[in-house]
Amino acid sequence: MLTTSFLGMELRSPVIVASGPASHDVNQISLAERHGAGAVVLKTACSDKYQHMRFWPRPRYKLLDWDKQIAGRSTQFSLYSYEQGYSGSLEDYWEFIRVCKRHAGIPIVGSIFADEAGDWAAMAAEVEMAGADAIELDISSPHRPGSLEFDTTFVAAMRAVVGRVHIPVLAKLAPGTNVLMQAEAAEQAGAHAVTLCNRLQGIDVDIESQRPILHGYYAGIGGPWAKYYTMRHIAEAYRTVHIPISGTGGAITGEDVVKYILVGASTVQVLSAILINGWETIARMNEEITGYLQRKGVDRLESIRGQAVASMTPPDNIVRWSGEPLDGTRNIWKEPGP
Amino acid sequence: MSGTQKYPGLPLLPPPFAAQQPPLAKVVEEKCIACNRCLPVCFFDALRIEERPGHALGRSAVVTAAHCTGCGLCFETCPVDAFVWVPDMSSSPSRPGRRI
Repeated sequence: MLTTSFLGMELRSPVIVASGPASHDVNQISLAERHGAGAVVLKTACSDKYQHMRFWPRPRYKLLDWDKQIAGRSTQFSLYSYEQGYSGSLEDYWEFIRVCKRHAGIPIVGSIFADEAGDWAAMAAEVEMAGADAIELDISSPHRPGSLEFDTTFVAAMRAVVGRVHIPVLAKLAPGTNVLMQAEAAEQAGAHAVTLCNRLQGIDVDIESQRPILHGYYAGIGGPWAKYYTMRHIAEAYRTVHIPISGTGGAITGEDVVKYILVGASTVQVLSAILINGWETIARMNEEITGYLQRKGVDRLESIRGQAVASMTPPDNIVRWSGEPLDGTRNIWKEPGP
Repeated sequence: MSGTQKYPGLPLLPPPFAAQQPPLAKVVEEKCIACNRCLPVCFFDALRIEERPGHALGRSAVVTAAHCTGCGLCFETCPVDAFVWVPDMSSSPSRPGRRI
């Protein structure tokens, strides 16, 4: 019932572990598999030029606005994060992929970051050679170093990677005003799917010391509240591009996953939910999605994809009625009383 | 800062020694109530509950220093603020931005 076709792979669930701290070591892959994940996107490896990204600030995470519910019941939080890249060398990363592929029964997606197109392509070729089922190009991490431009560097990188490897290529994009343009550019560059969306950059301030909290720089910020703009980006991309969409950002329940699919996602990547509510989140999501499909009498999840987009109303067609009467009592000035 | 503040969790700024030595989480065992909240958030198997015969509850959370990456999530989960930062004196600093 949950089986999802995605980039030529038959996933047993649309729920994928997103690249990050829950996909950094081989034991996490077996945990993901045991709890029902459809696939895992491994932690992002950075090119040698950016090997300082293999070192991690301490501390790395602050939970803001957390409801402090435990045992998998948390529904509100903002994860303020200085997450960096895979902590080993590139050789370690290729071996990481090989070990994952040797032991895992679910697809393994490699994830890389570089700047020059040649580095992207060379790393992608190694990821493919190590046995990964697909590769995600993390061109939008809130922590990415340098001042790399999408229009020049990343489009060239996508073209170089697509021209070099035979496995499917996903482009992971940042949320914001350019996401639709970038999704179209990714499709034109030959990407096989887009991942929407990475985290935003944000900042919080300690009013006592009058300094930004933690390490004094913008952090990656995400949480359940991200689902609303994420779904909007998925919906827009679903209407415009013709490649599959892997939705990510803010999904913490099976209902969220269903919503992402209703606005056009093929798969949904989760991370913060696992971090805060545990690995059981994946199994719970699968149960909730199955329950929903049974209740709706739907055999295959894929048959509901994009349903909510199909019934969206163009803004000009939204029914409008007359507003506040201009001759009403609230439009006659009254001096405020004592 | 808005939000529920049942307990403060992770301090907003890193410890003063963080630029010299990598911070490690440590449990102040006298404060620990062995509630197990911190164990599930540790992705690095750095936390365990150990028997402590002299402890009021007979057990306490303990950090395995060699596994701790100093991420800070255990601080967040602790309802009695039993976590503190200690410098890892066995390690050389790995500053963000350092090129190797």
